[in-house]
Amino acid sequence: MGNRKYRGIEKKQARWGFLFVLPALLFFSLFNFYPILNAFYTSFFNRKVLSRAKPLFVGLENYVRLFDVARASNPLSFYNSLRATLVFTLGTFIPLLVLSLILAVFISNLSSSKAKKFLQISYYAPAVLSSVVAASIWMIIFDPRGLGNQWLNALMRTPGIDRKWLVDPTMEQVSTMIIYFWKYIGYFVILFITGLASIPPTIYEAAIIDGANKNQTFWRITLPLLKPTVVLVSVMSMLQCLKTFSTQYMLYTNGAPRAPINVITFNIYITGIQEQYLSRASAMSVVLFIMMMLLTLLQFRTTKSENVDY
Amino acid sequence: MQIERNNIAAKTITVVVLIVMLLFTLMPILFMVTSSMMTSRQILRMPFTWIPEGINWINFSKAIKGLDNNYIFLRNILNSLVVSTSVAVTTVLLGSLTGYGLAKFNFRGRNTVFMMIMGTMMIPFETIMIPLYMVVTMLRIQNTYVGLILPFLVSAFGIFQMRQYLTTFPTEFLDAARVDGMGEFGIYAKIVLPNCKPVIATLSILSFRSQWDNLLWPLLVSQSAKMKTIPQYISAFAEEKATDEGAMMAAAFIASLPMFILFMSLTKYFIGGSSVYESRKG
Repeated sequence: MGNRKYRGIEKKQARWGFLFVLPALLFFSLFNFYPILNAFYTSFFNRKVLSRAKPLFVGLENYVRLFDVARASNPLSFYNSLRATLVFTLGTFIPLLVLSLILAVFISNLSSSKAKKFLQISYYAPAVLSSVVAASIWMIIFDPRGLGNQWLNALMRTPGIDRKWLVDPTMEQVSTMIIYFWKYIGYFVILFITGLASIPPTIYEAAIIDGANKNQTFWRITLPLLKPTVVLVSVMSMLQCLKTFSTQYMLYTNGAPRAPINVITFNIYITGIQEQYLSRASAMSVVLFIMMMLLTLLQFRTTKSENVDY
Repeated sequence: MQIERNNIAAKTITVVVLIVMLLFTLMPILFMVTSSMMTSRQILRMPFTWIPEGINWINFSKAIKGLDNNYIFLRNILNSLVVSTSVAVTTVLLGSLTGYGLAKFNFRGRNTVFMMIMGTMMIPFETIMIPLYMVVTMLRIQNTYVGLILPFLVSAFGIFQMRQYLTTFPTEFLDAARVDGMGEFGIYAKIVLPNCKPVIATLSILSFRSQWDNLLWPLLVSQSAKMKTIPQYISAFAEEKATDEGAMMAAAFIASLPMFILFMSLTKYFIGGSSVYESRKG
């Protein structure tokens, strides 16, 4: 009798639990699962926004078009977008990873906790600005008469040279990388500082007693124990870079050439929203989705095996 | 002797690198602040002088009056505030409700639900914006707050954070309240929610600023000037006033002020919040 009553309470509670997660479940079904399925579905048709004609099933035609080798020479092709995304991602995430690790080690080795805090806050400050603001500041710095040329020329002792930051295709890509790097460096420095703080100090003490110098402790202890953070930071920064949009949008709307910085997200925006080729844009979205899903799965796998034995 | 010299060299390198990086991160921000008070000629003078000669107030009035002298910037600031605040509130409420349900209740399919929600982290906003755009056009909610807010009501990351936090919450408290005859929803609202303050702080800041920074979705949803948000205003202003650098920097400065005030007063939540996986959709 009592047992049945208890079970009744448990059942009632279980119902409440389900009721509590139901709104979120509905939300994710409508605004995440349905759209991604819809993106796959739409990518097999020839849907355009303004066309009244019923969308036609075209099979893989949109994908064939994206990867059509004959189009590869077109400066605004999807191949070029893949290239632009890859160049931007590698060119941004590698410096981010290496420098944020170095800076985090340097900061962690400082003795004054006030200096530590000040540096962390200052490095993080650009992340507080929105991406559009970041881009508009740097666009003025990259003006032919701006600080970018002045500083670089002072540094390299080459007075009067214009580096064409926002005009030259290569420099334009470098400029987007600099802007992105500037905005996110502090964020990753802090991730590494947190990772470094989780390494027990007794290990270092033991190493010093054994006569290891700073170089050795870094390569033999810090880096191996920091591996989970390194993997996490690299995947996260790669995912971030793949999603870049605002910087490229800002430069383009201010007259910089589109082809060098026509990253996938920007291409989706132009194709789907401005040119209204919904199906073509959906096919690009699916490709981007698959790329990012592979990276995320990699991240889940590495974070699962994150626990290090000391 | 050799070791000591090496040590000094290492210390010098450390200090130099840290200072160079400090200049690199802070100079552009300082540049925005000083040049918001300068005329264009002063901003692009070679060499650049960091101290403005008096404050050029006209930059700020130009930035606020906007391209058509209709003060639309103020309205756009309001829009950004409404959208960012709403998203922060719904993320906290729905996140805590769902996280509580997942952490403290045993129901059939709980793990499946949790895995499904975590799975949405693999669906970046950029890949679903085209279908979402079609939904919004179908529902005719372009140029509305609902349209701007709807796709960001709650995030998987928010639910995850709340669930992790609440798993350690003592169940005895909840049972005691049940014995006292408190309803399940009352327990959530009166006991669970008030006890999540640290997560609420981090989470609301994260979601607030991700919307404050969001350009892509408003670009799709808000075409009318009245319903645009700050990032849209800044980008349109920069496009039209490309040669008026002072006014551009004044607009950028105004747009950054609220976030900077938040950052200065709640630094620990900003920096603490970034040390966990941040799923920024949008």
